[in-house]
This record gives sequence, C-alpha cells and structure tokens, in this order.
Amino acid sequence: MQIKINNKLYNCEDSDTVLAVCKKNGIQIPTLCAHPDLLPSEGVCRMCLVETNQSKCLVSSCTQKVCDGLEVSTETVDVNKARKINLELLWADHAGKCAKCKKNGRCELQNMAEVYDIDEFKFVPRRKELKSENELDLLKDNWSHTVVDEKNPCISRDSQYCIECRRCVRVCKELQTIEALGVNYRSSKTNVGTPYEEPLDCIFCGQCAAVCPTAAITEKDDTEKLEKALADPKKMVVIQVAPSVRFSFGEEFGQPTGTFWEGKLVAALKELGADKVFDTALGADLTIVEEATELIKRIKKSEFTRRSLGEGGPMFTSCCPSWVLFVEKYFPQYLPNLSTCKSPQQMLGALTKTYWAEKEKIDPKNIVSVAIMPCTSKKYEAQREEMDGDVDIVITVRELARLLRKKKINPAYLDEKRFDPALGISTGAGILFAQSGGVMEAALRTAVEKLTGEELGKLEFEMVRGEAEYRCAEIEIDKIKLRVAVVHEIRNARKLLEDIKSGKEKFDFVEVMACPNGCIGGGGQPQPTNKFVRSARIKAVLDRDKNMPLRKSHENPAVKKLYKEFLGVPGGQKAEELLHTKYTNRKK
Amino acid sequence: MQIITRSWDKIDPLNINSYIRQRGYEALQKVVRELTPADVIKEIKNSGLRGRGGAGFPTGEKWEMAAGTPSDAKYFICNLDESEPGTYKDRTIVEKNPHQIIEGLLIGAYAIGAKKTFIYINGNYKKQAEILRIAIGQAHEKELLGRGILGSAVDIEIEVFEGAGAYICGEETALINSIEGKRGEPRLKPPFPPIAGLFGKPTIVNNAETLANIPYILRQGAKKYSQIGSSVSPGTKLFILSGVARNKGIIEAPLGITAQELIYNFLYGGGLEAGKEFWFAQIGGTSGRLLPAGKLDQPLTYGNCEYPIGSGSILIVDKNANIKDYLLSWAGFFHRESCGKCVPCREGTYRLWEIAKRLKNNDLCEKDRENIEDILWTLANSSFCPLGKFASVAWSDAIKMFPDKIFKA
Repeated sequence: MQIKINNKLYNCEDSDTVLAVCKKNGIQIPTLCAHPDLLPSEGVCRMCLVETNQSKCLVSSCTQKVCDGLEVSTETVDVNKARKINLELLWADHAGKCAKCKKNGRCELQNMAEVYDIDEFKFVPRRKELKSENELDLLKDNWSHTVVDEKNPCISRDSQYCIECRRCVRVCKELQTIEALGVNYRSSKTNVGTPYEEPLDCIFCGQCAAVCPTAAITEKDDTEKLEKALADPKKMVVIQVAPSVRFSFGEEFGQPTGTFWEGKLVAALKELGADKVFDTALGADLTIVEEATELIKRIKKSEFTRRSLGEGGPMFTSCCPSWVLFVEKYFPQYLPNLSTCKSPQQMLGALTKTYWAEKEKIDPKNIVSVAIMPCTSKKYEAQREEMDGDVDIVITVRELARLLRKKKINPAYLDEKRFDPALGISTGAGILFAQSGGVMEAALRTAVEKLTGEELGKLEFEMVRGEAEYRCAEIEIDKIKLRVAVVHEIRNARKLLEDIKSGKEKFDFVEVMACPNGCIGGGGQPQPTNKFVRSARIKAVLDRDKNMPLRKSHENPAVKKLYKEFLGVPGGQKAEELLHTKYTNRKK
Repeated sequence: MQIITRSWDKIDPLNINSYIRQRGYEALQKVVRELTPADVIKEIKNSGLRGRGGAGFPTGEKWEMAAGTPSDAKYFICNLDESEPGTYKDRTIVEKNPHQIIEGLLIGAYAIGAKKTFIYINGNYKKQAEILRIAIGQAHEKELLGRGILGSAVDIEIEVFEGAGAYICGEETALINSIEGKRGEPRLKPPFPPIAGLFGKPTIVNNAETLANIPYILRQGAKKYSQIGSSVSPGTKLFILSGVARNKGIIEAPLGITAQELIYNFLYGGGLEAGKEFWFAQIGGTSGRLLPAGKLDQPLTYGNCEYPIGSGSILIVDKNANIKDYLLSWAGFFHRESCGKCVPCREGTYRLWEIAKRLKNNDLCEKDRENIEDILWTLANSSFCPLGKFASVAWSDAIKMFPDKIFKA
C-alpha cells in the first residue's frame, strides 16, 4: 500500500500506523507517550497529532492506521498550534526545576519545549508578572499532589516531574507483568503511582526508569557516595565494570549505538580517580565455571534416576537479581532450582575483598568496592544480607555519565587504558553475559567440554542465539540429552514457569534475564533504549566475542590462577563459601 | 404523543403484574415466539430509532453490526450511568416503570444473541438499583428471563452493575472498562464495541431510554413508530426542562419539535416563570450548545442539526443571570470529571477552571483571555474523546455571544 505524507508517496504495510511510516522514512514527529517497545500506542500525549484527509479533527499518528487513499500532513499550522498548546499545558504542571534535574539536557519534554518554542509561564505566571497580591494563589497549585518515593535502594520517584505519559505503567504491566505502577486519582490530580501510594515494592528491574521521558522515575542516585569515597585518601576505590556497559557507554557521549568503548571507559574511571579498575567479565567467567560445575553435578546426580528430560525441574541461572527477586516473590516453589552461584558482580566483589586484599596486603575495610552496571536491580543485590557488603556502591551507566560530565571528563579525549590485570582478564564467554542467551552459550561452552573431555569445534551455539523472547533447544552431550531454554522479559519468564508448572514443558537448564534482550537492555542503560538500539548493541557484543583470543571461561588464565592460588577446585569448600549464596521465600 | 410516559403513574413499579396488565412483556413474547433475531433487527432499523444517550446513532444499525460479528459470546449493556447535569430521565423511567427497560434489554439481547446482559447504573442511584433488582427478580419468577425464556430455548441473564458515579463512564468504552474492573477511561476506537467490546466480545451499549422505546416499536410496528416525530429521527424524546421554565421536569415530546414550542407551548414548558425574560437556552446538558432567542425556531432532533439535543436536558436562562456563574460551573464540572488520560483535557479543563475562578472574581490575568481561546481550541481539536470537545462547547458559544458581559468587569 502507498500513502501520501506531506505530498510525497510512501510505501507501507497494511498494519502500519502513520507514526511508524513516518519514523521509517525519517519524517520527524514528536512523541511523549509512544515507544517502540510498547505497541500499539494509546494516544495519550496528543503530541504526534497530524492532519489527514479522512477526518475533520486532528488525529494522533501513533494510533491512526494507514488506509487506501490516506493523505497526511505533519506540519500544518493547526498541528503545530495543538502541539505547542499541549506542551505548554504539560509544562505548567511539570516541576520545571531543570537546572538541578538529573535529566537536564536529556529530557524528552525539555527537548520538545525547545523545538516548539513554548512559553514556560503561559499558564502559571511568574511572581513579577502578577498584577496584584490577590493573584498569588495562582502560584499555589491547590490540586497538586506530589509523591516522592526513595524508600527502595534502586529507583527514585518524584511525581512533580511526571507528565502522565504512562510508559512506565505499560512497561511494568505488559513486558514485566508486575503491575507495580498504575494510575491513581482522576482529572488534574491524576498521578502515576503504586497502589494506595505504598512505597514501590517490585523486582526493581528499572524498565520504568528506562522509558521515562522526564525525571519522574530515575535510578536512585549514588554518585555522591562514590564522589565521597574517591575524595577520601584513606580509601582504596576499586571499580568493576559489567560486560554490557562497554557497548553502550559511548552513547552517553555522542557515539553511535553499538560502539565498543572498553579502553575509553577504563581511562575515564582512572581519570575519575579509581585506584583499580577490574572487569566484571572475569566474574562472569568464574560464574560459568561454578555454574557449569553445579549443572554437571545436578545432571550426574539425576542421571540414574531420571526417566525423561527435565525431571525435577530445570536449573535456573541466578545472575539477574530481578529474576531472582521475581522467583522469591512470586514463585518461591522454584527457589531450589535457582543456581546457588552468586552473580558475576558479587563474585568479583567477594574476591576483591578477600583474594586481592590478601595479596595486596590491604585491610578490606579500607576498600570501597564499586560496580558500574547497566542495571538498577544490582543496587538492591549489593545490599542483600547474604552478600556481606562485598560491593559497596553500584552505579548505573547513566549515573556514571552524569558524574563524568559533572567532573568535565569526556572519554573521547582520553587515551584508552586496560583493566588492571589482577582481576581484569576475561574471555569472550564472559563478554557474552551482556545479552540474553549469553550465559547459556558461555555455560554450554564449558559444560560440554567438561562432560565430554573433548575440545569443542564450533563455539557458537546458534540455537540459543537471536532476539526471540522464548527460545528452546535440545542439545546432546555425551549421550545425555539436555533441553535448554533462554527467555528475557519477565512476561516470558512467567509463561515459562507456568508451562513448567503445568507440565507442558520440561527443561534441564534455563537462562532468564528480566530486561528486554538481557543486560544490554537493562534498566540503567543510556536513553533511549529500544529494540533498534538493543539490536545494534547485541551485534557489537557478538563481534567482540568472535574477535577475542580466549572464548571459553575455563580457559581464562586469571580464573585458573585464582583456583590454583586461592579457591581450590570449582564447587569446592572455599568456592562454596565465597561464590555461592542462598535464597529466601519473600512471597506475601 | 406518549410512548415512554404512557403508563407512568398507572402502574406499580414494584409489581410486575401491573406492567403486564398494561400490555407489558407482550412484545417480548411476540419476539421470542414469532420473530427471528434478523426480523427484530429489521424492525428496529425500519423504525428509524436513534440512540437517546446523546450521539443519536441509529440503533438498528448498531445491533446489526454486533449480530453480524461471529463470536462465542456477546454482551448487551443498558447504559444507565446518566451523569449529565440536569438530566434525570433514565432514573425516572426506572422509578416509574423499570420493566420497560428490562423488556427492551431482553429484546435487544435476543436480537444480537447475547446471553449475558448488564444494566450499568450510576453509583449514586442506590434506590433505582434496588428497584431494578426487585423488577428483575419478579421477571425471573415469571420466567421472562433466565434459562429458557417463556419456555423457549433462549437464555438471557441480567446483572445490575453499579458504577461509581463518574461522568466519563457514560461513554461506552469507558463503561466497558469499568465493568472489566479497569479504570473508567475511554478506549481507542476502532474497534467499536459492536465488533470488540466487553472482554473483547461484540457488545451493544444502549441508553436506557432507547431501550424503553423497543417494546412499543415491536408491539405497534416500525411503520407506526416511524411516522411519529421527525423523518430523520422518529419517535418521542424525554426532555428535561430546568432553569426558568414554568413547567420544570420531564416532558415527553415528539422529536423535531422546535425549541419555541417546547418552551412556550402550555402542553410542554408553558412559558417562563413570571417576570423572567429569555436570554438563552442550553440544549443537551452541560456539554450542550447555547441557543439564543433568535434561534428558537430550530428543530430539536437527532441527526445533523445545529443544536444537538444530547441527553435532552434543556436549561433556560433568564436575562438577569450572571454568565460568569455558568462559566465557572461548566468549567468546574468538566475539570472534576476529566478522566485524566489525555493532555488537553486533563490539563486544559484544570486551567480553564482556574481562569473561571478568576473571571468570577473580576481578577483576570493579562494572558487569560488568550489562554481561554487556546485551551478551548485545543480541547475541541486535539482531545482523545468527546468529553474534551464537550468541555469547550458552551464556553466557546458564550464567548462568541456575550464577550462584553464576560470580559468587561
């Protein structure tokens, strides 16, 4: 089908919306509520309005389906007038404290206000514009109702900044099926919030913050803590960096999506004042060695008794804290199936304060262990009781970029640096943790070699790759058939658990990531993150793995050294003590 | 001409037998025993009946859409949310003759093949909900509803569903959301409810007064009905006169009647209260337009007309009234009742209400006059649903008609 936009013909699919056709062809249309991950759109913000030959009124292009003979104008006088007035109305209800706002310069509302040249004081005048004292009550918003929620370690909410676009409500309900956020009250009092305005109690995946166009929902800011630690001469600040961060960090400094910026990242952290910069990918390699050992143990244990695939339920990965929390809160019957391995962040944190501290003869009390993560939930994970404070501060990519800008550090101008070698050597397998399917592939590379005792020919397990949200595969290793699955987004995890519960599906090993496409789409990643951005990042991850000299976790020389010098054997007593954890039933 | 009010005060609303004595449930018997669903729809289409809730959509066409959509389940809903200020006709039908609505609802459900029906009633109508429950109970005992109606193979259940009194829940998709347990907010159309409505199934939402016309049409025939009232929109309508009319309250009159006749004829409004002078009338409740004295010859009907009659409420305003009071009342109403979904309505109605308060106190700010124009314009042109558009109607008319009275202190 073809439709006419601004007097030019464009090809489109029958199911397309006008907005989708415009986006595909580079025609700019402003949107505040539409998001590529949340389709179909609901037409709430009334920004994407266009004129068509089919309707007397303006229509929202995000909801208008294409049809034969449709002619659209995207920039008429009326269209721009409506956008401007609606923006001015939104602005009047918005906090407008731009200068000290976390999202200053990166706020979709602010950017749009600039484009449409709005009068910020149209509906709420400034004090000096008032004619008489009687008008003072104009400045008091007698319907305003603000909710500030800082009660959890991961996510901050301040409804003064909220423009009620409802992206967070939809992402929480549609992608994550948690429904922690909803719409409260009516009319101008309408507010996005939790039921009965209780403090946010969810799995802290941070997808709400990732899609928020303003600063209404943001990552909890821990940069101050980090600054304080860096300024303290008695403290040794040791920073580790998650695998996915090096593929997205550049976006914050204007690099194209999917730019691999490992060296620049390390350099920036050193410039910031980090004493040591370690690689979480090493923690990932360790996780794989421990997890593969655990998987083999579980398989061997059930080898004689198992009659069919997946008897006794699968082993689930445990590196995603939101997923772990989801099981604890909603499906505690599967807690025994979670791998007891700590996440790479916590393994590396534990080793920093034991192995490395011993080696360097530093009192662990003087070490501040910091993790740069793509994830808001990691902040919660670091505070879990079982984790003994191995990681002190967790900083998301957005926070780090903000801090660097504040300190006037632009990584683009720095010379690339390498991780500190003590805990800074990693493999392609560890890097793969950045995206959904990576833990599975890395674990299989190790498990297969350990089970068969032979070297793998082809390292790529194509059957677990891809961006499909629910991927299953059957793998035969040494006459043992393994059925594995990879899912991302909690809605798919929930479906998988329901399938296992009802007996419809049986698996031996399942990888779950709470965020879309795994950590690469994490709640702490640079904005915007959407399916197109994620695809570019994934490509960069797979390329990097392919070009690494070492691609199997158990071949990582640093890992081998660790076991030799400190940990003993995988799954051994010391490893068990330092690298494994336990879970709690948190169902309400 | 009386259709709806014909047997009012002659029957006991709490006793089904008194309704049956007035030829009640005759139409239902005829429908279930003699007519196919297609026959019923044809009859309603031929009658020319239009929805009495406000929009005036042809009822038969709506039913045909739902009947023609294949589905394992269909729903029929009677809209008794009635929250337009100055409108209380549906409530009065329930008080006077609840079975009229129930009979119409059953016939409609039969026509589209719905087994489950709802009466969605405004949450403030506690007494009326109770009356309906009693009436439904009595109809159950007579086997007029439930399993195997009148010994046939037709099963229809009615559930009285109490809303929470939100104005927006009178909009059919918001009403459906409310029954589904969701926030009362309008949905995107299409799909229209007759294609995909309650729980995604084909659903008809009809106003209570619309349904009250159905038994008459099937008893007397479409032809007779179509000759009453105007040709574009046959039948009678319950008008609710308020303000300075001499005869206030519910008045049944044929559609197509002029405003002049409705207000001044002794059969209907009977003129104005002593000493009062006509200034303007608001046609169709708070969301309606303002009709000046010069336009009193306008016919009041559904279909394409300059002054849509909406729910049928007519407010007659005296020359001595202060327009600023009305402006504040209108703005306050829409501000309270905006569901909060789209930007122009949520924020616009609020700012308009703020300005209305200042207007009332003769305390307008410099930008206010321009802001009024902008808000009204964006409400009318960019809102998600008709509520936003309605919020601008009376204000726009008032500003066009009496700018001096509004802007000169």
